[in-house]
This record gives sequence, C-alpha cells and structure tokens, in this order.
Amino acid sequence: MADDILSTIIGTPTGTTVVTVERGQLALFATAVKDDDPVYRDPRAAEAAGLPGIPAPPTYPFVMGNFGAYPELQTEDAPSGNPMGAVLGPLMANGGLILHGEQEFTYHRPVFGGDVLEGTGLVVDAYQKESKGKTMTFVVVETAWSDRATGEPVCTSRMNIIHRV
Amino acid sequence: MADAVLYYEDVAEGDEAPELTHVLTRTDLVAYAGASGDYNPMHHDEVKATAAGQPSVFGHGMFSMGLLGTAITHWVGAGNVKRFTVRFARQTWPDEELRSRIVVTGKRTEGDAHLLDLDVRLHNAAGEEKVVGEATVQVPARG
Repeated sequence: MADDILSTIIGTPTGTTVVTVERGQLALFATAVKDDDPVYRDPRAAEAAGLPGIPAPPTYPFVMGNFGAYPELQTEDAPSGNPMGAVLGPLMANGGLILHGEQEFTYHRPVFGGDVLEGTGLVVDAYQKESKGKTMTFVVVETAWSDRATGEPVCTSRMNIIHRV
Repeated sequence: MADAVLYYEDVAEGDEAPELTHVLTRTDLVAYAGASGDYNPMHHDEVKATAAGQPSVFGHGMFSMGLLGTAITHWVGAGNVKRFTVRFARQTWPDEELRSRIVVTGKRTEGDAHLLDLDVRLHNAAGEEKVVGEATVQVPARG
C-alpha cells in the first residue's frame, strides 16, 4: 500500500509558474531576514558591488512563486489549486504532520529584480523510514527556475518534505 | 553589508565568518509571514499554536535559513552564493538568541572560479543547533 503511494508520487509534476521578480518585494524580504545591505534597496549600491541589478537574498527563490505570478504570464502548465495538496493528500488521509526537513538551492546566476522567471516543479523522490514507531515519508520536490526570455538556467530549489504519522 | 571585499587569497581553511546574532521576536515572524507569503498560523497565531499543543508560536524554518543566508552574504557579498543547503534540526522560539557559525572547510578552483566551501550553522545561546548545512561561495582573487 505504502509502496503504491510512493510510486504514484514520484514523477508527479507540480506545475509551471512564471513570476516577475519585483524590486519592492526583494527589499521587503531582505528586511524580513534581517539584512540591511543597501544592495537590496539601492541600484547604485548594487552597481558598486559589481552586480547588474538589485539581487535577491539567497533564500528568496523559495518564496518567489508566491508573488508576481500574474495571470497573463502563465502557461497552460500553470498549477490549478495547490499541487502539493494533490501530492500529499493520499498521505494526509491518515492524518499526521508535515515538516520541512531539508532545503537546497543551487544558483547558476543570482536572481535580479526585473527578472521574469519560469519555474517547473517535479517530485523527484519519495521514500519511507520507520523511526520510534512512527512512519516518516520523505517527498523531494525539485523546482528548476530559468530565464523565460533566454531559457538560461537560474536556480534550482530542492525541498525535502517529511510526513510523519 | 559586506564592509570589505573578501579575497580568495586572504581566506584559510578553518577561518570563521563574523557571527550574526539575533533575538527572535513574534514581530519577526509576522514580518517573515508577510514577506514570504507563508501564513501557516503556527508561526503567528498564538491561540492556534497552543491549541495544537505547541508551547507558543515558533519560527519558520525558512526564516532560520534566511538569517543564515544573511550571515553568509554579509561576509562574501550578495550574489556570490553558488550552493546553499540545510537540514532543519530544531524549532526556533520567540526570545531565543540565534547565532550563526560559518567555518571555511575547503578552498578550490573550478575553471576561473575561486570557490570556498563552508560549514554553516545556526544555534541558540545554549548551543542547540537549529539549522545545519553547507554552502559554496565564489569570491574574487587578487590575481
């Protein structure tokens, strides 16, 4: 039964989201992670640091799908509703708790304000472990972000979600 | 902010980045919820968090990773991180002092790129680890 759920989950696409990375959002996020560096707020400071634009703080790619995903940018691949709900639904049918276990970013180039990026997600792995009488199911989702205009890879985000029941 | 440029030649294995310390407040969690779009009530709604059996609201794991990211980029400069990976070890709680510890574990070149491998951690004042991970950053060389 468990193996059936796992094999169903692996390979599930979580959709494609196109986002505009907005300057105001970057400054707001930098403030939220306690970063006072002027490069996140002033293009002159970014230029002085050798950057072609206002960069995003390193963990911003985790949240950028929540902002600037305007309807006219989306493709027919856009997720409807919450794709992670579809992935985790069969596991949550038995109750339990969802935890964020691990997070990894690989950056091919920095994300900059003004970028229009396309992110495509896929469940790349799912496995189970028994620990202290609890069943832990690990679901690994990889989202590959690329520059929509050039197709150039920008950032890959790899999230390990744990369902514990 | 990065006060001075960090050059490859000036870094040795075992070197540590300046420690970043921050006492977590509930206001931080509200600010992070808004800036991230993560409105899980466990991070801002004390009533719901205690009803769910938690002692209080607790920090977003991604706030901890974000704070560690701030400590990294303050040292090496924004836009220079090539890889950043963490495991979330423990929850964070309001009034805890969170402290970064970033140690150089290796130096290497890849083509023209001068890279530093870092062991990156966030812990509280009692030394309990909250986030444990690794990062690779690219820094300029004096040439």
